[in-house]
Amino acid sequence: MRRPDRGPEPKAQDEQSLVLRLRAGDEAAFAELVRENAGRLLAVARRMLRSEDDARDALQDAFLQAFRGIDGFEGDARLSTWLHRIVINACLMKLRSRGRKPEGSIEELLPRFYADGHRIDPGPPWRAEIPDPVESREARTLVRASIDRLPEIYRSVLLLRDIEELSTEETALLLDIKADTVKVRLHRARQALRALLAPHFTSGAA
Amino acid sequence: MTARKLSCRELIEFLAAYLDGELAPEERAAFETHLSSCPYCVDYLATYRETIHLGKQALAAESEILEKVPADLVDAILATRSRS
Repeated sequence: MRRPDRGPEPKAQDEQSLVLRLRAGDEAAFAELVRENAGRLLAVARRMLRSEDDARDALQDAFLQAFRGIDGFEGDARLSTWLHRIVINACLMKLRSRGRKPEGSIEELLPRFYADGHRIDPGPPWRAEIPDPVESREARTLVRASIDRLPEIYRSVLLLRDIEELSTEETALLLDIKADTVKVRLHRARQALRALLAPHFTSGAA
Repeated sequence: MTARKLSCRELIEFLAAYLDGELAPEERAAFETHLSSCPYCVDYLATYRETIHLGKQALAAESEILEKVPADLVDAILATRSRS
């Protein structure tokens, strides 16, 4: 299944011709690039920034960088993938410029164990029928709000790896952390998100 | 050869690597042996997977809904061209 934010598959020669027109400064080519990609990329920025104004700013910054950097586009990735990375980077800059809020602890959301390695209080199992976030606005809002409750260092990794589907290495590069740190944070973020969702999805929960 | 015994703590530590297919064959065997006798860890694995799925579904659905880009934003972006 194609992801909605990667765009339709263009013919390689159409893309090559668009890149040549962009490099030649063709205004119609810039308009085409923006119209074809801005919708998907705005959705990416909204997911990451949770603020319409910041998302719009980040998108403008990203396109400005893309316009300036089109000569550096090497053509070994697709244009839409290249733009996707630039937008993510612009969003991360925006998050950094917001200043550091005190990060909440994630420890209480992680499983706890007895000395012999058995889990303390595994909790009741989840219901067989979990609402589908595609169909249920309530489920969508719940999952979204739960992701947003994660401390930012975990939320960013979860978004880049599980939602934007970047590789561990790309995520490490963008966040300027080691690949092993990406793996540890992703695992902890998923466990914490699971703990936040669990009370809503266990048997007997509404 | 008997697979090494894993505790629930170790199993949960290895979960992401298991799902990514990154465990060595003997670690994978130990992982699966533990799962075959621990309903709590079977449940944890299932709900961990479900959590990843729910995150993807919720945010992908959100972006489909929000996909239409405002015309004034397109104009604003193209206006930055003259400053680039």
